[in-house]
Amino acid sequence: MAGLCRVVSGLQYRVRLSSRFLRSSFSSDSGPAEGPVSGFAAAFDQQEVLRRETQSSAAGPKASSSGPELSFAALLRRSPLIQMGPAKDAVVVGRVFRVVRDDLYIDFGGKFHCVCQRPAGADGLQPGSRVRLRLQDMELTARFLGASTDTTLLEAQAVLLGPKEAGSGGEHHQND
Amino acid sequence: MIVNNRCFNVCFIFRPFRVPILTGCHSSIPLWWASLCDKKILNQPLEKPDFFRVAELFSLKDLFDARVHLGHKKGCRHRLMEPYLYGCRLDHDIIDLDQTMEHLQLALNFTAHIAYRGGIILFVSRRRQFGHLVETTAKDCGEYAHTRYWQGGLLTNANIQYGPGVRLPDLIIFLSTLNNVFQQHVGIRDAAKMNIPTVGVVDSNCNPSLVTYPVPGNDDTPAAVELYCRLFKMTINRAKDRRKQMELLHGLSADARERRHV
Repeated sequence: MAGLCRVVSGLQYRVRLSSRFLRSSFSSDSGPAEGPVSGFAAAFDQQEVLRRETQSSAAGPKASSSGPELSFAALLRRSPLIQMGPAKDAVVVGRVFRVVRDDLYIDFGGKFHCVCQRPAGADGLQPGSRVRLRLQDMELTARFLGASTDTTLLEAQAVLLGPKEAGSGGEHHQND
Repeated sequence: MIVNNRCFNVCFIFRPFRVPILTGCHSSIPLWWASLCDKKILNQPLEKPDFFRVAELFSLKDLFDARVHLGHKKGCRHRLMEPYLYGCRLDHDIIDLDQTMEHLQLALNFTAHIAYRGGIILFVSRRRQFGHLVETTAKDCGEYAHTRYWQGGLLTNANIQYGPGVRLPDLIIFLSTLNNVFQQHVGIRDAAKMNIPTVGVVDSNCNPSLVTYPVPGNDDTPAAVELYCRLFKMTINRAKDRRKQMELLHGLSADARERRHV
């Protein structure tokens, strides 16, 4: 019972549990089941399957995640947009795709782009350059008096922090 | 895919099937043989569910990378789009891509069948950001586009505005179903009035009810709209090439090949 009381990972717990029961009861290794498995036998089979699954997933996580069977729910949960959480004050990396005089149109991987004023000394920001932004809102919407739906500006709002220096990775990065 | 029977039956009323005229044909193909070949060419694609294999053109990952699943905020949501939404995350609607996959496949399959039968396809979008893209897409697949102001009687008053006997489009594809003031595009209602089937990309703030083949998806991001344009262009070109192949296979000469009414 000392082994069961220790706080260990689920894998080791299951191995210990199944090995204890293997030693104590000799009925588990009877080959293919003759009839419907019941009670303890069903639980034991299930634990074996779970143990094998954890072992295989620990061994090869890359094989399953890059395979073509990834469902929409899995893709969504692992996407940077969801992992980021609330958009308020999140620092992201964007890419300038259009420049109109002093306005920079920056795409950071969300539904909409954002428009920022070019800061005073930064003349090096051309279409294609990467910049760091602090997001305020992913979509500027508001409900006006008398309206049944929100009015949307089809834009995001962000504060331009500056150009992204090459090599300073590790920031939260959104894919296009 | 068994195409929507309603649309084809109605098309039959307005544009009856005509045997192709073999003027200028040098080989002696009897008329009965030509009509038999024509029937075979027209009926063979209807036997298989995905004759043009449009399901191979895109995958869930492509849709996801093009940000097709991103919808507007919760306050902009249209009540009738709720069945197509996966959920709402921090006030942003997420469109269910599993449903989008099915709807997009149906829409592309229908477009392919229309293009195969020589139908006229009209691309409509009132988004000025994508106007040029839509026009070049239409040009590349040999079809038509209308990305400017929609005059009131364009479809409903065509005989008076453009002269008698004008041929209307057989399919209208809306890359965005809203106009510049966030109301439903007039073309959707007019196409329904004139019994013209429509394919439309409906975002979470659009009304999908009058669109024949709605495709729930993002219509605001350039990546998503480029994906749709590419898919429609590939489908239409594929269908037209297939038609040329089938005609060569069934022995009709190049002189008899003309734009047929179905």
